[in-house]
Amino acid sequence: MGRKILVAVDQSEESVHALSWCLKSLIDCRDTLVLLFAKAPLAVYSATDSTGLPVSSSIIATMEGYANEMAAGVMKKATTLCKKLNDEVVVETIVEHGDPRDVICEVAERLKVDFLVMGSHGYGLIQRAFLGSVSNHCAHNAKCPVLIVKMPKNN
Amino acid sequence: MKVLVAIDESEESFYALQWAVDDLLSYSPAAEENAIAAVTLLHVYPPFQPFIYPSGPGMHLVYATPVVIHSVNKAQREKAASILSRALTICTEKNVKAETLIMEGDAKDKICEMADELQVDLVVMGSRGHGAIKRAWLGSVSSYCVHNLHCNILVVKLPLGEGKPTGSK
Repeated sequence: MGRKILVAVDQSEESVHALSWCLKSLIDCRDTLVLLFAKAPLAVYSATDSTGLPVSSSIIATMEGYANEMAAGVMKKATTLCKKLNDEVVVETIVEHGDPRDVICEVAERLKVDFLVMGSHGYGLIQRAFLGSVSNHCAHNAKCPVLIVKMPKNN
Repeated sequence: MKVLVAIDESEESFYALQWAVDDLLSYSPAAEENAIAAVTLLHVYPPFQPFIYPSGPGMHLVYATPVVIHSVNKAQREKAASILSRALTICTEKNVKAETLIMEGDAKDKICEMADELQVDLVVMGSRGHGAIKRAWLGSVSSYCVHNLHCNILVVKLPLGEGKPTGSK
């Protein structure tokens, strides 16, 4: 009877490393892997953009489209990686909207996963020395066990 | 793959060990070379401060006699041995081979130090090393280790009881 494991993916190198470590060193062929991409809501709320021109609905639609494309791209790359490293395991994908911190914890609880795996950076911009704010939050707040995969340091 | 499990006397760390033995170590990845090879159970006990602050008048530091120091150290070692033997029983029940390690010092520093020294791939710990911290927050030992360990870390929290109020969000 396999486990259900939720892996949080985003576009960062750290989450690709987390997923491949998970596939190589952790996953049994009876397990089910659920890949979750949390799409942060767009932060464009002002009526005009930086050039002073009004932000029209078509601009917002384009940005939404871009975000959706990126989510699809990340998901495709992740599922390809799964197939390549371990093609017997069952893989499901979910794309959710919202703040990744809350989305990940909420989905983990809703799906009653056995545990959660994430890389050490939630957003790609945070310095390598610090644990990403998303993984830190989830380690504190998720109800299930949380496995944080760190990138090996390059000495 | 080498795994280090941090054990102390708390319910949380035994739950983490039990969970690890049931849900992690009983499964093996497809590639044989990645299977979990060695499990080390580490127990760290705090060092005994060999001075006593008397509460009566003329309060100055009094150093404990060697007899007291010796008996406290002996009691600490016995307690560590009993904790680890309970942990070993949990492992052997599920046919997991494990070795034990006892260290003295600050738990969070020792765990990180041993994880580096033994070159482990994964550290497993419960969410509270010491029992005094509120259930809503990750214990200070696990929080420190999550930030400072160079290897992967798995944090297991005790499930909240039925009907109990949930911790603050």
